[in-house]
Amino acid sequence: MTPLIVLPVLLMIVFPTIMTFLPRMMGGAREAFAEMFRNLPDPVRAQFGGFTEATWIRVVHTQMLAPLMLLVPFMVANVIAADGFAGERERKTLEPLLYTPATDAELFVAKLLAAWVPAIIIAFGGATVYAVIVNVMAWPVMQRVFFPDLTWVVMVLWMAPAFAALGLAGMLLVSLRVRGMQEATQLGGLFVLPVIALVVGEVRGAILLGPGMAIVIGLLVWVIAAAMLLFGVKRFKRTSLVAKL
Amino acid sequence: MTPPNADTSAIVLDRVVHRYGDTVALRDLSFTVEPGEVFSLLGHNGAGKTTTVRIINGLLAPASGSARVFGLSPLVDGAQVRRRTAVLTESPTLDERLTARETLRAFAEMYDAPAAEIPRRTESLLSDFGIADRGNERVGGFSRGMKQRLALARALVHDPDLLFLDEPTAGLDPVATQQLHSTVREMSRTRGRTVVLCTHNLVEAQALSDRVAVLGEGRLLALGTPAELARRIAPRLEVSIEVEPTQTDVAVRVIAAENGLTAVADRGGVVHVSGIVRDAVPSLASRLVGAGIALYRLEPHEPSLADAYFALQHRQPAVRLTDGGDE
Repeated sequence: MTPLIVLPVLLMIVFPTIMTFLPRMMGGAREAFAEMFRNLPDPVRAQFGGFTEATWIRVVHTQMLAPLMLLVPFMVANVIAADGFAGERERKTLEPLLYTPATDAELFVAKLLAAWVPAIIIAFGGATVYAVIVNVMAWPVMQRVFFPDLTWVVMVLWMAPAFAALGLAGMLLVSLRVRGMQEATQLGGLFVLPVIALVVGEVRGAILLGPGMAIVIGLLVWVIAAAMLLFGVKRFKRTSLVAKL
Repeated sequence: MTPPNADTSAIVLDRVVHRYGDTVALRDLSFTVEPGEVFSLLGHNGAGKTTTVRIINGLLAPASGSARVFGLSPLVDGAQVRRRTAVLTESPTLDERLTARETLRAFAEMYDAPAAEIPRRTESLLSDFGIADRGNERVGGFSRGMKQRLALARALVHDPDLLFLDEPTAGLDPVATQQLHSTVREMSRTRGRTVVLCTHNLVEAQALSDRVAVLGEGRLLALGTPAELARRIAPRLEVSIEVEPTQTDVAVRVIAAENGLTAVADRGGVVHVSGIVRDAVPSLASRLVGAGIALYRLEPHEPSLADAYFALQHRQPAVRLTDGGDE
């Protein structure tokens, strides 16, 4: 359960703080940052203009770090789902649940919500804290509330729930096949690759994440997650689960 | 025995077969349990006891045959069946991160206990099982015995009509064991609840059960009251005969002359006879008296369920006994 605390703090507080002040902290390397900025994809540079501390702050928070925020709901849902499915089996606490009058569908929905709702709460809460911290820290440079922008709002409200659903759907499918939590965590973690691809694509300029693109990607992830969950719910049967106890 | 009625009997299993891949776990298993009975399922590990409990609760589907619980099909009406049953699994299987109180409340809610009723029920069970003072502690810090008591309290939180207890006294101290036995008797005799006991503890099964079913490799080997089974399956008794101490050697010779009997004398003038059938006891007594032996006391030791169980395990699968007698 440690990732539930460490990851949000790291991605939503520590990392943005460091990145905001990086050029100032490494004053001597300012030219190196300017060079890095010049190497950004043309569409990004065109959108933000030349290198200044203000543009650096805007690029970092609205482009470079933005997709990383999606890791939080994904990982939180992933970890809780691993605990709820494979972990219960490993601790042998699943069997008493199977003997209760709860139907297969009720158990399935309960386990989904138990993973999805905390992931969303942490994502929304973390995003709020992130926005406050960034604006406060950047105030001396920006002199205004510049964050979040529309893309980021779409990411938080539309993409984050979708990635949380993807994280738990992936873990559900893995958990139905494996017996132990460790095995489930290792295999289920593979579903993080789409998020990593998004981050890399964004930084490399292959994807320029605007509100429209965020809606499209979010929709795609929702569809994939829904398909995986439908596939999983058909296999989430007492008679199958008890065979693995 | 009256014929089973699938609508009123607590459990009716009819020629149930279950397989795990190529392994046959249950073979044409049939028995009936009536409401209010304490019924024991006995058998070695792998005999099919847990599979039977899972089928009755709708966790497994039989390959063929049928199960009915209070007239309901566990597969079709699983939720309704499980609302009336409770299972204490072999290991306590509690969430160690919850407190004892949280555990009971969570399960009471899962069984739709009225919200106003939950605190009273929870406190009453915690008190009955001697864990009220540690109700707010996490289960992870409990001893094995305390966990077992809490698991039993959890099983009773919705006041089930049919209770399955799998090795219920494993890990319990003698006082807690006695308390559990009292609970089982009270549930059955006073409140008319049905209890199915899965156990390796033959003394416990004999003490608590109205009837027992002995399973072996998924087959029903025997079914009946403990006394019936003992008499049918292990008909030979041990008899202690107290004679005049100076006559023990003579008594041993007289007894040994009887076909198939063995006799051993101890220093107190008691001769222990084994291998005798009940009907032969009076004639043996006559022979001893006829031989001029002063006979002070003759005490037959009835065969126990354990004697029957071990005899049965050695005889299976050639001999099968059910309510109808020898096959």
